[in-house]
Amino acid sequence: MKMTPPLLVLGGSLIFGVVLFVVVILPWATMTDQPSDIHRPRTALEERGRKLYVKNGCSYCHSQFIRRIDWDLGAERIAQAGDYIAEQPHLLGTERTGPDLSQEGGEHPDDWHMAHFINPRYVRPESIMPEWAFLGTENITALIAYKQSLGYKDADARMQRQRLWKPKSIEAYEKGTDGNVAWLHDLVPEPWRKLPNPYPTSQAGLTRGHRIYQSFCIGCHGPVGDGMGPAAPHLYPPPLNFTTLKGRGVSGGILYYQIMNGITGTAMPYFKRDLESEKIWDVGNYVAVTFIGETDANTEPRGIDASYEPADGEKR
Amino acid sequence: MELLREEPHGTTKAFYLSSAVWMVFGTLAGFTGAVQLIAPELLGNIPWIVFGRIRPIHTNAVIFGFVGSALIGSAHYLVPTLVRTPLYSERLGKITVWLWNLAVVLGTLTLSLGFSQNREYAEWIWPVDVIVMASLGLGFYNLLQTVKRREEEILYVSVWYIFGAFVFTAFIYFFGNAMWNPFTGSITGIPDGILAWFYGHGVVGLFLTPFAVAIAYYIIPITCRAPLYSHSLSLLGFWSLLMIYTHIGTHHILQAPTPTWLKVIAITGSIAMLVPVAAVLINLWLTMRGRIPYILGDTGGKFVLAGTVWYLLTCIQGPLQALPVVQRITHFNNWVVAHAHMGVLGFSGIIALGGIYFILPRITGRPLHSKFLADMQYWLVLLGMSGFFTVLTAAGLIQGHGWLNGETVYRMLPEIHPYMVLRLSVGILIVSGAFIGLYNIYMSLYGFKTGRKAS
Repeated sequence: MKMTPPLLVLGGSLIFGVVLFVVVILPWATMTDQPSDIHRPRTALEERGRKLYVKNGCSYCHSQFIRRIDWDLGAERIAQAGDYIAEQPHLLGTERTGPDLSQEGGEHPDDWHMAHFINPRYVRPESIMPEWAFLGTENITALIAYKQSLGYKDADARMQRQRLWKPKSIEAYEKGTDGNVAWLHDLVPEPWRKLPNPYPTSQAGLTRGHRIYQSFCIGCHGPVGDGMGPAAPHLYPPPLNFTTLKGRGVSGGILYYQIMNGITGTAMPYFKRDLESEKIWDVGNYVAVTFIGETDANTEPRGIDASYEPADGEKR
Repeated sequence: MELLREEPHGTTKAFYLSSAVWMVFGTLAGFTGAVQLIAPELLGNIPWIVFGRIRPIHTNAVIFGFVGSALIGSAHYLVPTLVRTPLYSERLGKITVWLWNLAVVLGTLTLSLGFSQNREYAEWIWPVDVIVMASLGLGFYNLLQTVKRREEEILYVSVWYIFGAFVFTAFIYFFGNAMWNPFTGSITGIPDGILAWFYGHGVVGLFLTPFAVAIAYYIIPITCRAPLYSHSLSLLGFWSLLMIYTHIGTHHILQAPTPTWLKVIAITGSIAMLVPVAAVLINLWLTMRGRIPYILGDTGGKFVLAGTVWYLLTCIQGPLQALPVVQRITHFNNWVVAHAHMGVLGFSGIIALGGIYFILPRITGRPLHSKFLADMQYWLVLLGMSGFFTVLTAAGLIQGHGWLNGETVYRMLPEIHPYMVLRLSVGILIVSGAFIGLYNIYMSLYGFKTGRKAS
């Protein structure tokens, strides 16, 4: 084969054109333009937030599609082509330095997001996301509106739940400590309330709890557990002050349930995807021993001891 | 005008100096990003270098500024030399250089101000795209006119690749940036993802690869003083590159809701990439069989040889990580970042540097300012690249396996922190290499005159 400029240019163009047709134009022409069951149009504010997301390169760290193998996200809704019919440009992303955001809407209330955008480490102490305070409150508000729309109708349902519980939590907070604690305990099912922490207090357990507290809790509840962490000024109702809870019947089961499930409407997220069972018992007991000043760890009813636990009455 | 002054090989010289400057700038931008992954508040709240903006500044400055300038500069030397005809117009060439640099400067500035199309390697906004297209068009026209006036009838394989690179890059740049859609530079929905990755992979496969292969095809036979092993393999490598490389972009979004038939094409195409890669490498390596000491004795040749080894590694890893079972672990994490650095720095970047060091003495008529500094840059970049590959691949495996085991992204961040620190340390080698290269290339081009004045 003798290579000449016309052969190179024309032959090359021909091949390029054929491949472009097969791998780009054909999918473009044949793929669905029907919206999926959760799709809805975005509002003007959400659209503005999306533009900021595009301008500032959020998609270099956050993907926007959930895969079948994404156990950490629960894989409760696998991405469908119909979710993306209005996306221009696409924001699928290729890196997960931060979490996937395609179903982020309604996971947290707006005030949590405000604190998080001003400085992500206020609410997620080990985050490596940049601070976005320089965008200004107005822009951050638009970005929050966009984030709360991710997941479309599913997000709307979650947002509705946030909005339902927010006023109730504020009302309870404004009643003072007694009223607030009573309301918080009411959110926990009866059997959990009566459940003591099944594991005895040990130095190792407290050390583990301390480590978890620093990774997850310190931003809001503060280093001394008084609810005065750096995020506190941005959150309402403010984070719970543990130091006033002695003698108010905070059981290991209540702590476990609230950490696992979060308190929807407030900035307290659920941690069931981040933490497994032992870690939740440990951090709960750390809070009880260190900040509340009393613990029900290893009290009746306690059932059979785990094999590693020290024998009855024995101190470690 | 001084900027457009005509001198023999002025275009190539200007492209080389631009490349050296952009290598310093691009690696520093990457370094800034790497710092933020370790200490996000160290450079906190400075809008124009926030991670989401510095990352595209880094990738584009490196791809188009550093590697692109060096490769196009070498093309402006290789084509006239191989067809034994002077470049059609050095003035046009200088305009090509300035437009190209203008594009990189404007692209960088607009990105830092928050103007972005947000599709990887297609972030530059429409006006910048127009300048890139103009520069590519001028370069193509200039070289085409040179070839039309040629005195050598036979076109050597490097010339095919260079022409291919110009034509395909212009095509892929136009379509990939959706240039008929100036305000968003994109189309809608999942097809936009497909188009963006048709482009994203094409930038490597149809822009960097053919130019870099052209340089390797030129330098290896000369340095090892042997004829090219096979014309048939050259043909196979060239046409199969074009046919197969264009098919595989969707492997970047394999786990997204793209059509299944397209995924099948992308995966089979990725495996089939072994054909063009093997054709090129077998051809080059059989040419140098038994003659490697000759190549190692030549500064430029040494870089090119290292580049071909990275090419092999990249193109074994690439097809493997396109397999769904491998992507379950490797997708979305630092494994892919390691792979991208192998392709752009390890393969095309090191060959681009080899081209500069091989061609510079031939166009200045003087030896390099310092062979020692070039060797030093060789080792710094090579060690840095090897370190990047090891550290980022390890970090990626940790992330991938953690996620697959049900850990959240947040929980894995402390796990990769030490690797991000190592990556920054290794990055210092590459940045130092860039500074040494800039000094050496500048002195090779202009140090001679000032040296004579001083004496």
